[in-house]
Formats: sequence, structure tokens, C-alpha cells
Amino acid sequence: MVREKLKINPSVNASTILEVVVSMLMILIVFSIAMTIFANVTRASTSTKQINARTILNEILTEAEKESDYTNKIIAIDEFSIQQDFKPRPESASLVEIDMIAFDANGLKIAELKKVIIKADE
Amino acid sequence: MLKASALYIVIIIALVIGLLCSSLIVVAYFYRLQDQYTLRQANLQNNLNSGINILTVAPIADYFIEKTFSLYGQDNDSVKLKVTPWGAYDIGLAKSFIQKDSLHASFILANPIDSSKWAALYIIDEDRPISISGKTAIRGDAYIPKAGVKEAYIDNKAYQGSKKLVSGNIRNSGRSLPLLNKERLNQIGQYFDISPRSVKLFKDSASASFFNETEIVQIDKNAAILSNTVLSGNIIVRCDTTLIIENTAHLENVIVVAKAIVVKSGFNGTCQLFAADSIAVESNCKLNYPSVLGVVRMKSSNNRPIAKLNVGENSVISGMLFNYEEGADRNKQPYIGLQRKVAIKGQIYSQGILELKSDVVITGSVFTSRFFYRSSFATYENYIIDATLDANGLSKYYVHSDLVPVVSKKKRVLQWLEKN
Repeated sequence: MVREKLKINPSVNASTILEVVVSMLMILIVFSIAMTIFANVTRASTSTKQINARTILNEILTEAEKESDYTNKIIAIDEFSIQQDFKPRPESASLVEIDMIAFDANGLKIAELKKVIIKADE
Repeated sequence: MLKASALYIVIIIALVIGLLCSSLIVVAYFYRLQDQYTLRQANLQNNLNSGINILTVAPIADYFIEKTFSLYGQDNDSVKLKVTPWGAYDIGLAKSFIQKDSLHASFILANPIDSSKWAALYIIDEDRPISISGKTAIRGDAYIPKAGVKEAYIDNKAYQGSKKLVSGNIRNSGRSLPLLNKERLNQIGQYFDISPRSVKLFKDSASASFFNETEIVQIDKNAAILSNTVLSGNIIVRCDTTLIIENTAHLENVIVVAKAIVVKSGFNGTCQLFAADSIAVESNCKLNYPSVLGVVRMKSSNNRPIAKLNVGENSVISGMLFNYEEGADRNKQPYIGLQRKVAIKGQIYSQGILELKSDVVITGSVFTSRFFYRSSFATYENYIIDATLDANGLSKYYVHSDLVPVVSKKKRVLQWLEKN
């Protein structure tokens, strides 16, 4: 009994070649599913780029409300180009609609913001 | 003996990876949900602010009937806008919504002053000068009779103020006061004619949203006392006799309409009080901005007593005091009396007589036909003694009701009432 307890190299039953192959296949499938899910989740979630673009649009809007320059223009900030358009409003001549769209370097629309503002000189 | 068990180990690893993946999906789902919610809230807030801007600038008459429309012709930019007259002011109601999500705001709209018409004093020209004595100070522009301003010695007091008498531009006043806004007066006059069928009897404290129908509360003639109550919001309190408002009553933005109103000493609140005969505010009361006290008679009658508005000692009123009587008899002119140490921040429009006791401070503007001063021995007309009229001391952000003839056509938000 004491001899059995002190046995240093116990024998291990090896897996068959079939078991190993099936296991490898399973691991491969599970990992590929996991990677697909991870890729999808990462791609679908809002990117930092979008959040940055929204923040920049809000900053430009705040500035535009203070200024009295209502000419359409394209502004380049960081990696974005922002198209800023002004339109008159039917409710009053003292109101103006500001439409802003942020595009990334590839020309893809990242964020959009619209607001009716009171002209600064009113 | 140990077993290799490759398949078992793989299944356990697969389970662990599965758990990690599902938690990743759940986290991503909630993140996306929250992000969409934040974006939608930001859009709603933008649309709500756009609606508020429209109400501030566009002609308000266009919005007396609620309008629902799309701001930019898309499916996620709908707003509902409405303006409701509320005493001397207007209430703006704006609501933006995307499907079931919505944001709303209600606010009081008022007008900034028109600096070309604004003055510390406007007293009509009755071919006699205005006399000042004691520590009287007039700071700001003044519209006074052609006979001018002169120093006077009254009650053993000489004039002790600035040599300039009026520290501002002096202009000639007209034979009558600039008129109050008739449209607004008619709206206020309608409160006296609310049909008794549409009212309910007062029972307890109440609070009403401006997005709902106005609650009209009728106070019983036999117990015309408001005490130990809290009334706030879209509520009109009506009484056909003299209504006593105790200092235990707390009123917040409500309108009170009665034949006569007595505000008991120590009262503190924000309200618009309109009476047909008289308003008496006792001592040490505090009526906060934007409060309005008005004695209004839309129909003239010779049998009625003089329309009186009296403010007791040490009371502080931020807002507006006015009186109006259609076709007032020259011998029974409406009267406003301010007792000692009364402080008014805002505007006084007295169609008739304005009596100022000593140490009255008016930070804002006074429009009156005649001043009145009563000493122990005599009475004086068009004398101002120990009073301060300071048009420059009013905050530049102070906005007024469009009832008074000194405001511009622009609108500003005076106070936010409800917001989510």
C-alpha cells in the first residue's frame, strides 16, 4: 500500500487518434464562431470615431449659435470634413436652420446634426 | 490512473468560450441600446430646443392653437408647440417626440425692455412741475412735465440728493400715459367672467401641469380664506367676494381672481393677483419674481368705490403693480399706495394716483398720472419725498410683461416651469 502511494510515474491512458482529431475540429469550430461573434460585435458597436464626430458637431453648433455668419461651408477638423448648411425657416425671418453632416476620410457619413437657431443679431 | 479525455476537455473549453461569447453579446447589446437611447435623447433635446427657439421668435398668435409638425420633414423630428396666455405673461409649451420617447418643457415667456422707451419715471404733464424733497433719488431717464423738476422743503426737510435732481436724460411727457396693451388687458378681464359651471370647489392643496387643462378653483363665499394650502401651476383661484390669503398659504405661479384680495402679513409666494375693487398686501410680505398685482375694471361704473392697491410696510414685490379702469372718473382715479420701506423690483403702472411713503425703493420704472404725499398736517400732489426710483439698478436680464408699453417685441424665457 505504501509502495502504491509512493509511485512516481503513474501510467496515463492515451487518447485515440480519432478523439484528438475530433477535439481539434471542435476547438477550431468553437474558436471560429467566437471570432465571428467578436468581430460582429466590435463592428456593430458605435465607434470612437462616431462619438468624436458627434462631439465636434455639437461644438460647432454652439459656436454657430453665437456667430452671425450664415454662409454654407465645409470645415475640416481632425480626420473629418463637416458640411455646414443654413436654410431659412418658414416660421420667422429671425430663425435659421443649421444642418451639419460629418464625413470621415473615406467620405462616409459618420454623424448628422440639425437645429433651428435664432439669428445672433436678433 | 489518469485519463487523457481530450473530448471532455474540449467540451469544457467550448463551454467556457461559449459563456464568454454570450456575455460579450449581452454587453454589446446593452451598450448599443444605451448608445441609441443617448443619441435619441440628444436628438429629442435638439428638437425641443428648436421648438423653444421657434416659440421665442415666431408670432405667438400662430401657436394659440397647438401645432404638431415635423421640423425637417423627417420621421424623427416631430414637435408640438403651443402658447397659452397666463395672466400678464404667456406660457410656452414645447414637446418633441420620436415614437414613444418624448421630452417636454413649459416656460413663461416675457419681453425685454425697449431701451428707447424705458425710464425711471413717467409722469403725465398737467402743466405743473414735479417737486422732490428729502433723500429722493431718481436714477435713469425721466419723462416729466415741461414745467420740470424742482427742489422742495416739506415736513422740515430740504432736498438732500444730487444737484442734478435726475441722473439721466430728461424728456417731456405727454398729457396722458402710454397705453397698456389692450389685448392683454382683455385676456386678464376674461378671468372675471369665467363661467361658474366650469369651476370646482376648493378642497385641498393642488398642483397642476401646464400641459393639462387649467384647473379653476372656486372659493366659497362663506369661507373666503386660503390658508394651510399649497397651490402651484396651472390653477386659477376664483372668489366672488373678498379673498383673504393667509401667510400659511403657499402659492406658486397660480392666478388669483377676486372682487378684493387681502394678503396677510408675512406671506411669501409667487402669484398673479387680479382684483376688481382692491388689493391690500399687509406688512412684511414677499412676492417673488414674476408676481403681478393688478386692479382691473374693464367696465366703468360711478357707483363703485375707488380701485385701490395698497402695499404694507417692509414688503418686497418683484414683478409688476398696475391698475386699469375703463373710462375712470377724474374724481375717483385708481390709487396705488406704497407704505414705508416697501421695495419694488420691476414696474409700477398707476393710471391714477401713486402715493409713496418715505424710504420706498423702486428698482425699475414708475408710470403714473400723479404723485400723492400725505404728511401729518397736509397733503401734497406731485411731490416725491424720501423715495428712490432707480431704473439702472434692475438686472439687464429682467424681462417684463408685454402689458406695459415699454417692452420690445422680442420674447425671452422668463422662467422654466416644467422640464423632463
